[in-house]
Amino acid sequence: MNKIRLIIGREYLTRIRKKTFILSTVLFPLLYLGLILGTGYITAKSGRKMHVAVIDSSGYFTKAKIDSLNLLDSSSRLSLVTASASSLESGLEKSGYDGFIVVPATVAWDKPLPFLKLNTTHTMSMEGTAPVQSKINALWMSIKNEKLGIDAEKKRILEQNNIIIVPENIKDRKANSGVATAIGSVSAILIYIILLLYGSQVMMGVMEEKTNRIAEVIVSSVKPFQLMLGKILGIGLVCLTQILLWIFFILIIYNVTKLTGKADAMSSVVGGIQDVFTSSNMPLILSCFVFYLLGGFFFYASLFAAVGSAVNEDMREAQSLSFPLMMPIIFSVAMMTAVLKDPTGSLAFWGSIIPFSSPIIMMVRLPFGVPGTVPWWQLGLSMSLLIAGFIFTTWFAGKIYRTGILMYGKKPSWKEIIKWAFRKN
Amino acid sequence: MASILETRDLKKYFATQKAVDNISLSVAQGSIFGLLGPNGAGKTTLIRMITGIFYPDSGEILFDGKKFDPLNDVAKIGYMPEERGLYKKMKIGEQTLYLAQLKGLNRKDATKKVKEWFIKFGMESWWNKKVEDLSKGMSQKLQFVTTVLHNPKLIILDEPFSGLDPVNSNLIKDEIFNLAKNGSTIIFSTHRMEQVEEICNQIVLVNKGQKILDGEIKNLKQQFKENLYSIGASAIPETNGSAPFEVSNTMNDETVIKINDGKSTNDVLQYLLQQGVVIHSFNEVLPSLNDIFIKVVEGTAHARQFQEIKD
Repeated sequence: MNKIRLIIGREYLTRIRKKTFILSTVLFPLLYLGLILGTGYITAKSGRKMHVAVIDSSGYFTKAKIDSLNLLDSSSRLSLVTASASSLESGLEKSGYDGFIVVPATVAWDKPLPFLKLNTTHTMSMEGTAPVQSKINALWMSIKNEKLGIDAEKKRILEQNNIIIVPENIKDRKANSGVATAIGSVSAILIYIILLLYGSQVMMGVMEEKTNRIAEVIVSSVKPFQLMLGKILGIGLVCLTQILLWIFFILIIYNVTKLTGKADAMSSVVGGIQDVFTSSNMPLILSCFVFYLLGGFFFYASLFAAVGSAVNEDMREAQSLSFPLMMPIIFSVAMMTAVLKDPTGSLAFWGSIIPFSSPIIMMVRLPFGVPGTVPWWQLGLSMSLLIAGFIFTTWFAGKIYRTGILMYGKKPSWKEIIKWAFRKN
Repeated sequence: MASILETRDLKKYFATQKAVDNISLSVAQGSIFGLLGPNGAGKTTLIRMITGIFYPDSGEILFDGKKFDPLNDVAKIGYMPEERGLYKKMKIGEQTLYLAQLKGLNRKDATKKVKEWFIKFGMESWWNKKVEDLSKGMSQKLQFVTTVLHNPKLIILDEPFSGLDPVNSNLIKDEIFNLAKNGSTIIFSTHRMEQVEEICNQIVLVNKGQKILDGEIKNLKQQFKENLYSIGASAIPETNGSAPFEVSNTMNDETVIKINDGKSTNDVLQYLLQQGVVIHSFNEVLPSLNDIFIKVVEGTAHARQFQEIKD
């Protein structure tokens, strides 16, 4: 076992010392933060305010109403115009308006008004027209209120009638579904990225040994299985190091911003983190996260190693052979939204039990509460199946690896690869 | 002499090929042993079984008199495969240490050994360089060092000279003799016959997974000689039915003759002297290993064909 230690040491040290490791460890959280803050900033800044002309033939839309509403809501601007629709249509670009709405004379306040056309010179998305739509609706509502004799006081009473449904799990009253959704999706995405990233690192590492022709030199000193295991464990340790560094960074940022107590963008992120940390199940979730991360990594890494051993230097071969491995990982992430909606449904249950998807799906479910949403027996079953799963994949991949690593020539098919696995020695 | 390695009826079949088919051989301790054969004859498969990379389907391997135990015995074997290489991005000193430690040396001994060998081969300045900075010949030298570093009892070299210039070839060749003198046994696998003739005492020739020749080179040459002699003489008269030989080849002053069955060298000399021929030299022509190789392997298809294997 001394030899496996040597291999782990080499794999770990050569990777940790690489510039790319240091860069990705520092840059990834920064990029991630930048992405969150950046997209928020961009959407806030880039929303162009639409200026829309309203041609009213019905007489309901008065200038006074429109002006007072423009003061209340500045996300778009409406102007009442008297020009004809045809003249606006021909000279819209020069007129300074982004579009115009014609309210026909046939409109009646007590009849439904299903739609109004917004005429523009370019095709717009639903999102782009949303501010105009809400403003027109507000305008229409105030017209109806006036006709019905509803004043501001009555309106206030009417609007009190808005009930929000707050889910509370009676078995686990502390569970907070908002925070749970956040933790669940963040940890699932993180595991997804790490499985793909580090899985392909294992594959590339094996391919490197094969194309460098060092594989045979090494397997004359150690067993192929030891070489494979050493590589997987070494890279797994690199992965763990990176995760621990990230957690460490988060704690530092958290503590620093808590001390300075600034109410800027950073501390709102930190506030979110604080919610997460004070959530009752944090120690359990964190240890499950590490378990599922490593379990999922070991489950897939050996399969990636087997693929790496089967192909030659051609990257395209590696891609086409590793695609079936990536499928279940990508599929698990695709199931995430459905599982978030119903964390106790049968999709969620099976997804979190079967080892192919359990590292991701179980992490989506867990923050909703143990044993409220995920009974202990399900967690236990899922964990033991994952352990059994990675023991099986490691054994299975080891058989393929042993043959593949010394095999040069044409790319084998999956059928041949499976045959290698079940061949006697 | 005691044998360091012995195989008995070693067999390894693949799905479409009898890679090694009943090979028994014995390698004497301290000898330089040639393992010859055309491409695809099964040499590499045989070597992989001896180095513990493959398990034989059947048969036995004895290492140093005991049953071969891959787990422990690989530390006593140094193997330089034909498909060889090193980690390109790893520093040379570190890499050599790593490979030595994988062979079971502890870090301290490994460091000492690596330094010794680096000084011997003039590679001290390489320590902090990477393998990708080396030329092909240089990395070959490094590879040789990593193979013999742990002082193995048995050294297996598969085509060790491919890609080396004559100077570096000689350096490695001298080192091979040196290692053999110091008690290591060397198995030398190649299809370059002139090198084998120069280096090896004993050879085994395999073809199509089977052993077809086994023995000391000088004995094999005797076995395959064809009664050819080269005569340096003023002029060889035309031969007729009464001459005890036939001329098989003439080159400048040298004539190669083949002595007829039942006649001896003395008959030839007597005949020539009677004819008044002035003889400068008279030598036996032994076949080169290359001739033997071609003769034995001839007739088999150039490329091995795939075949169905029934268990």
